[in-house]
Amino acid sequence: MKGQSTQVLLIEDNLGDADLVRLRLVEGKSAVDVNHVNRLADGLASLREKSPAVILLDLNLPDSQGAETFRKVLEMAPDVPVVILSGQEDEALAIKALHQGVQDYLVKGAISSSSLDRAMRYAVERQALLRSLEMSRKQQLEFKNQFLSHVSHELRTPLTAIHQYVNILLDGLAGEVQGEQRDHLKTILRSVNQLGAMVRDLLEASRAEAGKIRLSPRCVAAPDLIHAAATMMKATASEKGVGLEVGVDTTLPVLYADPDRVLEILINLIENAVKFTPAGGAVTIQGCAAAADTDFAYFSVTDTGCGIAAEAKPLIFERLYQDPNAVDSSRKGLGLGLFIAKELVSLHGGRIWFASEPGEGTTFSFTLPLYSLAKLLFPVVIHEGRLREAVVLVKVVLRPHPNAPRGRWKDITQRCLEALQGCVYLDKDLVLPPMAATGSVETFMVVASTDLECANVMMTRIREQLGKVQGLSGAGELEVSASAVPLAEAGPGQSLDAQVHKVAEAVNEIVRSVLGEAQRLSAATKT
Amino acid sequence: MANSKIMIVDDDPDLRRALGLRLRANKYDTVNAGDGYSAIAMAYKERPDLIILDLGLPAGDGFVVLERLQKSDRLSAIPVIVLTASDAQSSERRALQAGAAAFFQKPADNAELLEVIRATLPQMARESALPS
Repeated sequence: MKGQSTQVLLIEDNLGDADLVRLRLVEGKSAVDVNHVNRLADGLASLREKSPAVILLDLNLPDSQGAETFRKVLEMAPDVPVVILSGQEDEALAIKALHQGVQDYLVKGAISSSSLDRAMRYAVERQALLRSLEMSRKQQLEFKNQFLSHVSHELRTPLTAIHQYVNILLDGLAGEVQGEQRDHLKTILRSVNQLGAMVRDLLEASRAEAGKIRLSPRCVAAPDLIHAAATMMKATASEKGVGLEVGVDTTLPVLYADPDRVLEILINLIENAVKFTPAGGAVTIQGCAAAADTDFAYFSVTDTGCGIAAEAKPLIFERLYQDPNAVDSSRKGLGLGLFIAKELVSLHGGRIWFASEPGEGTTFSFTLPLYSLAKLLFPVVIHEGRLREAVVLVKVVLRPHPNAPRGRWKDITQRCLEALQGCVYLDKDLVLPPMAATGSVETFMVVASTDLECANVMMTRIREQLGKVQGLSGAGELEVSASAVPLAEAGPGQSLDAQVHKVAEAVNEIVRSVLGEAQRLSAATKT
Repeated sequence: MANSKIMIVDDDPDLRRALGLRLRANKYDTVNAGDGYSAIAMAYKERPDLIILDLGLPAGDGFVVLERLQKSDRLSAIPVIVLTASDAQSSERRALQAGAAAFFQKPADNAELLEVIRATLPQMARESALPS
């Protein structure tokens, strides 16, 4: 590197060692510009200002010792190569540091100008190489995503044409269709739908891999989702002569999950179960509270199929894996369903697993988080170690005009929710997660740590801000009201948790009556 | 009373024809446009009661069409249903924000599409479309 000097940050508290390193640097072939600091804090401050070409780091500093030192440096400047200056006694630690992202180490006392020069040069080169590898990996992933997105878009157009024209024929829009012709057309339609599902899965899997799936969790009743999934899969199952049974615990508390994604998980698992179950068999879908963990609900999909062979078990959730012993070998699919299900369950913070004996069927099980009002309320209604003086529930009802377009309404209510979030204090108010829509009227609730009088200020703010939401005034009406949440006196020795639970119960009581679904929610809302 | 008039905007002639067939079978009149530019011109000329709009179009894509419809005093009241092969995750929200009344990904379920068309048509036009 001629003409331009290498910027070196030297973090070393022993002045003798520092001078020696400086001397070796000056003796070396390349021009260097050394910035020397004694303490880690000063080193980190300097890194915040500008990035040197390389960092020479002593591990034992007045304000930080050992592994902690290089961890902090790597965290602050992950892209700058680090060479450790170690003593004889901490060489083992220096070696460990190499595994955690440090580029090299030199043992003090054995440093020559050529070894120092080479260590620095190699450290810089290796770091650059690593960075470019990481970049190209990211680029490849991005390219693959764009490619898949493009391909699936192009595939959908001819698919749509086939789908449309087959339906036109089947519906008799182009003349009467005879018995056998009808059967053939139905086969075409079924195959086209399969193809469409594969395109969808391909896109979904690549999105999951790139971490691009976003959840919109809501409060949602699990039995509704299970029944919806079963209804959607009914035709496929009965076509194959496979029974579909549903067993739901109706007292199952409300989930806090993205309803569309939960449906997707269930459908993927049911589809898979039906595929591996011979005619005359049955698929059972169950949902209940998880015995082991009260924060989660437990779901299972059980089939009476061929089971999973021991050698296939470790691979079952892998992308593109297909059981070579599949009964229904004519139509294998892409092998993405279970992979997608697994990704969606873990995005929710749940677990997915299976139990299977060859010949005796398989049960896939997964867990999803339950909605816990008390957990959400705790940081809001507890202030400085005690319950707040007063708590108010503010209700915001958005009622669409009778002929408001459906799609636009959904978007308007979403924007209202975002505006509502901006009307509250995060540390003392809580916008309750939206209830799964029970119709086009949308109700949002805010638990506010204030009394009714002060709640008026918030209500005025909400009316103002939501009134500004684009499209609302034309499409629907806004109604804001508030009611006090009755707070019981804390009994002697009553824990904060117990007090918050009381508040949560009181809030739920009001929410239930507001939603007019007292029956279902009383059984289903967990406090 | 006259049937409601629906304008189909799609660059694929096969899809225009199929959708046209389907809509006419349900007592709607249809007019077609194959690109963004003629979609706007046709909308001025024909004054449809509803527009079914593809997003990937030559000469001004669907978002451009949506924007120009919204900006026009005479056309902004016409409801638009987006029907596209584009990915829902990337374009649904954007289309609704740009003023679309509903979003469908191709291939759409015909029954559902027809139901949304019925619900979305302006009141007057809808009444006239009811079977007498």
